Amino acid sequence: MSVMCRKLCSSILFEHFGQIVQCVAEDLFKHGARSLELIRYATDLPVTKVKEALCVLIKHGFVRYSRVERGLEFSLIYENVLLILRYPKYMFFIKTMCGDESEMILEEVLMNGYITASEVITKTYKKIEQSPSGRQPSVPVLKEKFELLVKNQFLTRSLCTDTVGGRTNEKPDFTLPNLNLTAIIKKIEGDNNSDPGDSKIYWKVNFDRLIQDLRDQIIVSAIRRRLDENAGELMRQLLFLMYLRTASWAHTSNPIPLTEIKEAVKKTSYPLLIHHLDQYLHLIEEDSSQFLKRVGDSGGGQFSVNMKEAFEQLAWATLENIVMERFGSKAARIFRLVRDKKYIEQEQIQQLAMIPAKEAKHLTYTLLQENYIQMQEMKKSGVSAAPIKTFFLFHIDLNVVVYMEVEHCYHALYNIMQRREYEVNSNKRMIDKQLRMQTLTTNLKEHGATEEQLAEIADLMTPSEKQQLEKVQNTIKKLGITELQIDDTLFLLTMYLRYH
Amino acid sequence: MEIEAGTSKEQDATNADTNPFEIIEQKILALAQARPKGISDKDLIIEMPDLPSVQRAQIINKLLSQGHFDLFKQGGSLLYRLRDPSKAKIAKGADNEEKIVYSIIEEAGNKGIWIRDIRFKSNLMPTQLSKILKSLEIKKFIKAVKSVAASKKKVYMLYNLEPDTSVTGGAWYQDQDFEAEFVDVLNQQCYRFLEKKREQMNSCRGGPIMARNVTFASSKEVWKFISDLGISKVKLSVEDLEMILNTLVYDGKVERTLSGDGSILYRAIEPLLDSPGLIKSTCGVCPVRKHCCDIGDVTPTKCQYITEWLE
Ligand code: SF4
Repeated sequence: MSVMCRKLCSSILFEHFGQIVQCVAEDLFKHGARSLELIRYATDLPVTKVKEALCVLIKHGFVRYSRVERGLEFSLIYENVLLILRYPKYMFFIKTMCGDESEMILEEVLMNGYITASEVITKTYKKIEQSPSGRQPSVPVLKEKFELLVKNQFLTRSLCTDTVGGRTNEKPDFTLPNLNLTAIIKKIEGDNNSDPGDSKIYWKVNFDRLIQDLRDQIIVSAIRRRLDENAGELMRQLLFLMYLRTASWAHTSNPIPLTEIKEAVKKTSYPLLIHHLDQYLHLIEEDSSQFLKRVGDSGGGQFSVNMKEAFEQLAWATLENIVMERFGSKAARIFRLVRDKKYIEQEQIQQLAMIPAKEAKHLTYTLLQENYIQMQEMKKSGVSAAPIKTFFLFHIDLNVVVYMEVEHCYHALYNIMQRREYEVNSNKRMIDKQLRMQTLTTNLKEHGATEEQLAEIADLMTPSEKQQLEKVQNTIKKLGITELQIDDTLFLLTMYLRYH
Repeated sequence: MEIEAGTSKEQDATNADTNPFEIIEQKILALAQARPKGISDKDLIIEMPDLPSVQRAQIINKLLSQGHFDLFKQGGSLLYRLRDPSKAKIAKGADNEEKIVYSIIEEAGNKGIWIRDIRFKSNLMPTQLSKILKSLEIKKFIKAVKSVAASKKKVYMLYNLEPDTSVTGGAWYQDQDFEAEFVDVLNQQCYRFLEKKREQMNSCRGGPIMARNVTFASSKEVWKFISDLGISKVKLSVEDLEMILNTLVYDGKVERTLSGDGSILYRAIEPLLDSPGLIKSTCGVCPVRKHCCDIGDVTPTKCQYITEWLE
């Protein structure tokens, strides 16, 4: 793990869990797996604080513990820390898939790491009740939504137990508990003695499933962009069929027969796709993106989705875009040319790219210097009298460039986060003031305050303050969106690395 | 051109009377032999009134390029004079070294040969070699041609040869200068044409494959479009245009496919991705990112790029 990645993880943890957690995690970053005693010693924190911090980290799946000779050893899983960046995306995805209540349930689970079903329903119930939307929450609906999330495997049972060593193996478990609805309702009403019937059955977010869904979204939208709406829908159906017959994260799907594709497509609301299914299959298969391959002819044709290839193509497309944006279209032309020819000499580059020699050289060397392309020296001994000829061939080592760009993403994310924190801190007084005013207003409203009283409170903030506040809020929002966008790229490149 | 000449000579040997071109050539050569001072176009018109002027020019050009004639100006009109046959081959008087160098250059054909390579092949000392080259050049056996491959690189070839396009750069060069703007304009125009074809897709009602097929254009079609536009001063070949179309392929805007009948088809395509999120951020395209860290002059909190972007 690089320094940049460590810094990024560290500031993510600070933002979401505070300084002590960050401090403990930093120590684990630096030293790898180690015991509670050593962490306490190195961080100079009281043992209870360290324990608390570890507890939080374990709860969210950022720290893993294992039994060694002399007690327990803790180690950090930094990849999971980075997942926090994506929480808003997961929530948005769930919102579109399963509705608002589901999103709120997911949010609760994300905030708690793991939680029982009855608890999450209770909490969500209360949250809806307090929300300004004025919607009436209902326990049966929430239970239904919860079950929907489990059925879709977005939530899975957490096998984390209170006792060490009780961890059974990793097979995900999606069995629903028998919930006692009346007991939950009673609990909401304040009766703490009722038993909802699911104590010790904890749930956590099934990140693996969500990651796969985001991955599939990328594939579908790429095909939609390349071809059209109908082809995109067909791709979605193909991925669904792949899911049914193939282990997750397999490089290619097991063959999907045409008859099944037909069945699946028939159920969609895309008449043109239903009508021209064969043609659309042909188009996706023929496209240079190579997401789909025809692997057999039995039963009208067998098709296989090629995830590995797809992400290679997408990684290339990403890098080409980056080069284009950073160094201009001529540089991007050279980059693609080198990609296409695999190995190529300088002279050929300027000839084929049709760029004046001087400019071509300059661009090629800029790309070389920035490590977007690599150079290889080749010696060729000619006839005895002639000296050994040296060629310099340019080529691209995709993995090297992808790793570099992943680092680039870390750096960019870190910087933008730093800036956002700075903007928040330097306007803290005002943001706090607004928060106080908000609570005051809601409190007063509950107690039936008059319009005049409310207006009085609103006047506590001067117009210029209001203006300033609005500006800051916009800034923070903009920076937040940028973080999400950078994470899009990071996600895509990580997917590539996962397959290669 | 050389090949043409070779085959016609062979035909000449087997059956001299079949090729009317050959007969006229022979006639002109005989005429020139009769007038050692040279013949002019006027003379030819008088001698051969039936010969169309286009054909006459063709034949003269051919004889010139084959080194039968020397061209010179006299009193405002051009004269063709038969070259001394002994001079067409390397002069008898030339020494051995000259002959070796000459044959090395001859071997290189119209691609020419670099002085360093002549030196390796001939094993001559640099000073001696340059002397020989000078003398051959003065006698007009060979000539030096600037190559576009490297601005200061000269290659040598026989005097009467037309340099290969790899030396002159072909249509894209004027006096060894690459005409970048011209290439860019053609690149844009070709893309415009293919893009227009792609737009036709929306009005196509024959199913998605047919819709895709209307977006294809062969290189010849594009060539015709460009020729009709009349933006090129020089005459471009279909191959020239294919070079341009390939730059569009490397721009990622166009795809190339081989059609069933062997011709090359091009079509405008949409990229797989929008521009990635990373480069939508200032830090994604920042020129000073490598120097950007928590302390120092370049830090995210002080960053002007972000400040400007936030405005
Ligand atoms: S914070 Fe500013 S200076 Fe630093 S990398 Fe980003 S854009 Fe560049």
